Amino acid sequence: MSWRRLLGALVVAALVAGAVAGLLRSSAAAPDADPVRTVTQGLRCPACQGESVADSQSPIAAAMRQAAAEQLAQGRSPAEIRRWFVERYGDDVLADPPARGLSLLLWAVPALALLGAGAAAVRTLRPSRRRRPVAAAAGRASVGAAAHRVWWVSCAGVVVLVAAVALAADRLDDAQPQAGPADPVAVTLQLARDLERDQRYDAAAELYREALRDRPDDGVQLRLAFALLRAGDAAGAERTVREVLTRSPDSPDGLLVLGLAQRSTRPGDAPDTLRRFLAVAPRHPAAPEIRRLLGA
Amino acid sequence: MLGDLGTASLAAGLISASVTVLLWLRVALLGRSARQARVATVVTLLAAALACAVLETALLRHDFSVRFVAENGGRHVSGYDTVTSLWSALDGSLLLWLLVLCGYAALLARRRHPPRLHAYAMAVVGVVATFFFALSALAANPFRSVHPAPVDGPGPNPLLQQHPAMGVHPPLLYIGYLGLVVPFALALAAPLAGPEGRDWLRIARPWTLAAWSALTAGIAMGAWWSYAVLGWGGYWAWDPVENASLMPWLTATAFLHTMLSGALRRARWNSVLACASFLLVLLGTFLTRSGAVASVHAFTESPLGPLLLGLVLLAVLASTLLAGRRDPSPPDPGHPPLLSRATAVLVNGVLLVTIAAVVLIGTVLPLLTEPLTGARSSVGPGYYQRTAVPLAIVVLLLAGVAPAVRRAGDRAAARQLVLPAVAGSVTVAAASLLSRPGVPALVAFGAAAFTLTGLAGQLGSLLRRRRGVRAVRLAAVLAHAGLALVALGVAGSSAYGRAQERTVRTGETVRVSDVSVRLLAVERSASNGRMAVRARLALTGDGADRTVAPRLWYDTARDTAVTVPWIDTGPRRDTYVTLLAVAADGSTATVRLAVNPLVGVLWCGAALIVGGGLLAFAASVRRIRRRPPTSTPAAPPAAAKVPA
Amino acid sequence: MTAGRLRRLPVGRATLLLLVVAVAVVLAAGLRTGTAPTTGAAGDPIPAPALDGATLDGGRFDLTEARGQVVLVNVFASWCGPCRDELPLLADTVRRWSPHGLRVVGLNLRDGPEAVRALLAETGTTGLTVLPDPDGTQAVRWGVRGVPETFVVDRDGRIVARQQGVVTRQWLDQRVAPLLELA
Repeated sequence: MSWRRLLGALVVAALVAGAVAGLLRSSAAAPDADPVRTVTQGLRCPACQGESVADSQSPIAAAMRQAAAEQLAQGRSPAEIRRWFVERYGDDVLADPPARGLSLLLWAVPALALLGAGAAAVRTLRPSRRRRPVAAAAGRASVGAAAHRVWWVSCAGVVVLVAAVALAADRLDDAQPQAGPADPVAVTLQLARDLERDQRYDAAAELYREALRDRPDDGVQLRLAFALLRAGDAAGAERTVREVLTRSPDSPDGLLVLGLAQRSTRPGDAPDTLRRFLAVAPRHPAAPEIRRLLGA
Repeated sequence: MLGDLGTASLAAGLISASVTVLLWLRVALLGRSARQARVATVVTLLAAALACAVLETALLRHDFSVRFVAENGGRHVSGYDTVTSLWSALDGSLLLWLLVLCGYAALLARRRHPPRLHAYAMAVVGVVATFFFALSALAANPFRSVHPAPVDGPGPNPLLQQHPAMGVHPPLLYIGYLGLVVPFALALAAPLAGPEGRDWLRIARPWTLAAWSALTAGIAMGAWWSYAVLGWGGYWAWDPVENASLMPWLTATAFLHTMLSGALRRARWNSVLACASFLLVLLGTFLTRSGAVASVHAFTESPLGPLLLGLVLLAVLASTLLAGRRDPSPPDPGHPPLLSRATAVLVNGVLLVTIAAVVLIGTVLPLLTEPLTGARSSVGPGYYQRTAVPLAIVVLLLAGVAPAVRRAGDRAAARQLVLPAVAGSVTVAAASLLSRPGVPALVAFGAAAFTLTGLAGQLGSLLRRRRGVRAVRLAAVLAHAGLALVALGVAGSSAYGRAQERTVRTGETVRVSDVSVRLLAVERSASNGRMAVRARLALTGDGADRTVAPRLWYDTARDTAVTVPWIDTGPRRDTYVTLLAVAADGSTATVRLAVNPLVGVLWCGAALIVGGGLLAFAASVRRIRRRPPTSTPAAPPAAAKVPA
Repeated sequence: MTAGRLRRLPVGRATLLLLVVAVAVVLAAGLRTGTAPTTGAAGDPIPAPALDGATLDGGRFDLTEARGQVVLVNVFASWCGPCRDELPLLADTVRRWSPHGLRVVGLNLRDGPEAVRALLAETGTTGLTVLPDPDGTQAVRWGVRGVPETFVVDRDGRIVARQQGVVTRQWLDQRVAPLLELA
């Protein structure tokens, strides 16, 4: 029996030794570790939230990876590179803050928690002899007048709680004006205007149509007509602008776009429409140009 | 119209919550009947439910005159995302919070526990509800009207529209967080209720188990969401909001163990841990809801910070004054053996409390340094890897020791640990010979093998028993095995995960070990205020070829880009393809290809833990049903003493 | 009753309570100040890092040769929306203040030349001196945290102000105007 025991102990010892050897082998740095990654893992991406430079996909993190790679190629040590980044970005670029000043709390608080909880555990397991049972002072049934008094005090407490929230909310509300939410239609319109400026009228017209679907609006419809006209689709422009003119027959911009469109669809009607435009809006910024056209 | 109804329901809720507190106090102090108090509690629940229903209706009907809808609704958002956008921003999520809290209050009110203990606990829950109603009605009212009403809104945060888990993750987390209010309230009520208070731990048991299971599931689901949506390939970033959910989980886990261990029934640990768990919930709410910390899911800029801080202080004050009073009865005489359950549970408690302290200081320190020194600082994953991870491995080993300590005597227990120790050593030796995963992963592998072997032995002996298996035992085995699997998944995916990021032209490939993707085409589309880019890639590896299509889209209304990874889940490993960027002309794409081994094991482990929690919950409910609470003859009804 | 409780409060728990209150006070102070990005003066003026290279239009730019002039360095990119809004103001600033000894240089972070040209054309700022920084290392040397970011370098080559995010006319008036010899 003792032989079997000895054998068993030997096997266990051999296994444990093997495990320890494996651990020791693993504790050396892996040969295939990427040095750039090792350095940048210790840096925090300044443009992101809680991501390291190594992991972040933001452009500035990519630039920082590049900078670290260049310096490594120049033969600088990781510590030097870290210092270089701290000079530029401050201590908070380090994923792990240096252990000084307040950062010591990172180690002190868990240590204190461990000690405190450990002491409490030991006391729970080995209750000291001198601790006498405490008289059951707590939780006496409150009776009569005292209980009523406590109840009234609690009433006041609840009222105070609500009032405190109300007061604080009121003060905070004034301090923080709410920003208006973004409006997708406005964003679409802005994009369309940008495209128009780039002379991509087809694409702009498409976006105006999308905006119109969400929010019918004569101004946008006129812009759509104008974009169509500039894209060379005079018939489409005429159709679009006529819808506006049925709603407001004297819209100067409507008449202007209609007249310009008619110049290619129905050249006979165009001068009439443009004259009506001049009569409605003689001071329109486009008026001199139209007069010149009609005069010619 | 809807807005006015919503505001009215919040006001009604505030009033009825305040009245509820007073009515329950009347029951506790003056011994009156609890019927009115119960009715008031239900009315409060109805008010919260009405407020939620009104806001949900406004969202679905696109009523943009309601502020919350104008800020978070959108005509282009799908129905499912519209429903879930209730909790996609602060003010709406407060309504869900209230609904869950009042739901717990109403459930607790129905129980017939010792009357004074019950009434005091209900009053504590009522104070918390009153505070949050006041917060919602006065400081963060989502129903305020907008003039002029916009015709469309930007929709919820695009990151939150990406995954079905978003519909379940926040409600589960809230069910977990707020369930912890019950043990907290009972722990505060116990010293006030006198001899009746002795019973609080038994009453708190099913509530704690339910809340803990929901919290675990919520955290796991959050990790899954982060893995499947954020596109960086990881599932846990030690982000302040993740930390905020982890801290109460740690202390609640410790509480669960002290609560379920018979030997520590009288120890102060229980009330301290119960209070700490809910205090950490409140602290987490403060951290995430006040805009104090920057994080992926922090709701930005809100005026609630100081108010929530006030609530945290109030709760700390109350728990310091009330909880943790010494039990007047003398402790059990005699020394337990060194390797006893009580020792294991206490060591576990000490370790979990220390990990919670690590996470707490790591999360809060950046907030402290700025006002004190003026310099910004940050705490990265490296810190937690050096502190929390080793402690967690020890906790895992402890879970492996747990089955042994049921045996009487130190020697028998030690003998039972030989086989697990051999299994652990073999695993470490084999893993280190075959690969170089690094010391932490290696130790985690060993610890997981140690624990799983021990648990397998215990499971075997449990199933061999003639008489029925005790469900709580089985639940513990399941949950501990789940923990070991989680450790295995985390260690495996972090040690053996490989990734490659390259900018490729059409036809070129990115390769990681034996998996490669070849770029086939880049497709663009624009609709509904978002521009979407999709890359089609041919995936080769694992003996199968398929086409995968990760996406990248840009939400113009929110000015946010979202990467939607393509995840190919396998039993052994996940293949994870992300599209990071495309050139303006669509000729090149930056693609990240990652192989993440054992991630599936991680999710399975999490599911096992939740399953264990639910099993223990079901068992404890059944036990309470079977044995109705014994009336305590020591405390005659207070009503008898009070002259009317 | 409460007073009685407090009197009976053990030392340990009283200390804990005090500690929590102290931490809360600090947190509240932090909430008040908020995490504002560093704007305006960047502490003591520090010597500007090197900034040189070929410009977009084929010329050369070297910050050391601009000694004696006030230089406004704006880090931008075509993929950044706010930068687009900011460029017209910068062009206007060039028109207003270059006779008074101001140079404005745009450091173009990780961008393609075509995209930048399109952006400049679109915003009507083709006259701006643009220094491409395709890999972003120049910007990292300057400690740039994101785009847009703007630095003011005085006549002695020291950074006297920096702004993360969009600059406003008011900011320029406050930070740049005093350095110039305005009539």
